Amino acid sequence: MRSVLPAVAEQLFRDIQKTYQETSQIPNDLLIALTPKDLQYSIMLRFVFGPCALQALDLVDQHSVTCLSSPSGRKAFQVVGGSGTLYTCFLSCHYCPCPAFAYTVLRRNEGLLCKHILAVYLCQAMAVTQQESVSDQQMSILLSRTSAP
Amino acid sequence: MADILSLVFRTFTSPAGLKKQLPVRPPPPAAGSSLLLGDPDLSRSMLLLAAVTAASELGMRVVFFTQTQIQSLPVSLQRCFSYPRTLEELLLQVASLHESTNTCPTPPSLIIVDRLEGFLCGAGGSNHSGSHPAQLSCAAHLSALLCDTAAFLTQVLEQRGSNSGPCRFIVSFLSEVDTGQGSKDPSGTDPLLDVLDRYFQVRCTLDRDRGYGAAAAGVQEAWHVYLSGRGITQASFTKGCEEKLAVAQEWQLFIYPDGLMELKNNYTKIIWLSLTEQWFLTFFPPEHKAESTCSLPLDQGCQTHFSSGSTFT
Repeated sequence: MRSVLPAVAEQLFRDIQKTYQETSQIPNDLLIALTPKDLQYSIMLRFVFGPCALQALDLVDQHSVTCLSSPSGRKAFQVVGGSGTLYTCFLSCHYCPCPAFAYTVLRRNEGLLCKHILAVYLCQAMAVTQQESVSDQQMSILLSRTSAP
Repeated sequence: MADILSLVFRTFTSPAGLKKQLPVRPPPPAAGSSLLLGDPDLSRSMLLLAAVTAASELGMRVVFFTQTQIQSLPVSLQRCFSYPRTLEELLLQVASLHESTNTCPTPPSLIIVDRLEGFLCGAGGSNHSGSHPAQLSCAAHLSALLCDTAAFLTQVLEQRGSNSGPCRFIVSFLSEVDTGQGSKDPSGTDPLLDVLDRYFQVRCTLDRDRGYGAAAAGVQEAWHVYLSGRGITQASFTKGCEEKLAVAQEWQLFIYPDGLMELKNNYTKIIWLSLTEQWFLTFFPPEHKAESTCSLPLDQGCQTHFSSGSTFT
């Protein structure tokens, strides 16, 4: 098991990104109902990622993902979990300090990733990631800690 | 690791040793992360050799993390070694490599962590075996941080037009399976190793040869050193025939009673003293066993290398 996405998941996110780029051209008042495409993606996400797919979509709806940047150019993602805990995830490989990642992904090898990492991918694909700047020293502390104090 | 050892063979093999001298060039990105498994003392020697080779032959800036102080280092080498006492200190030091104090004037392009199992011992507030989720998470955190840090430093090296990239990292680890202290799992696997395999593309295994032949040859210890993993597989599929030979996947390592170590494969031999303070590199083409040698005494050769501008810090 690798720490990056399999090809089918990567293609799914590319399709979602393309659809949402096209959708952003449509005025909001025309987006009345859930389209068949939305349902299709929901089903595919559930098929590929399992139960955490719906939980990840909830996090997306709540605007829970922030991309942190520091003056050095280093970046990381911070996700607000369901209980309000902040989880720091990396750009280039899969890791999350949440218990679900430790148990389901690492220990049991039963999932590709947790809802927090999936929420990062979805927010990036849908261009709804928040942006925030931190200092280089703050970035170092965030990268090295397992969760926010 | 694989590319650095291969470079040693290519660079120092005499023209008689190889029919065609292969060009020295940066390794493919797929070989950027290596996990060194086996005896901790021997692993440390291999890591030090990799560090010296990378600094002196590739001009790479090396950062070496270890819990145990290394004695008798030349002054020019001492600044590249860091001695974090705990996993938390190690995480913070690795995470800080992006800061300008560490990337100026030159970012590191080789990160080495010696004896990961020492840092993980007691990590996550647990004294359980490696199957405890907290310890697995700690191992994954450090490995992922190394991956992400190397990816960032690779970008910095590219932006600055450096030839030292991509940034690589090598970690040594002694598995519970090798120590016999692991769980009673009949498959004999180490859960920590399964986690580490997610983040490392190449595995370099040190496997002791306890056969009768080694004893008969007057060798104190004999080891097989072999490479495996998806990084090696990809290299094999993409390289041409001649380059496949240079990316050799197996060596034999002999340790003699006087401390002399001999490493060889089908193409050349490297002999060095690594169990004492003195380092000699002696290269013998296979068909000229004793006549032609090239030696670099520590007090002259290494000082010359480090004073010539190849950076170690």
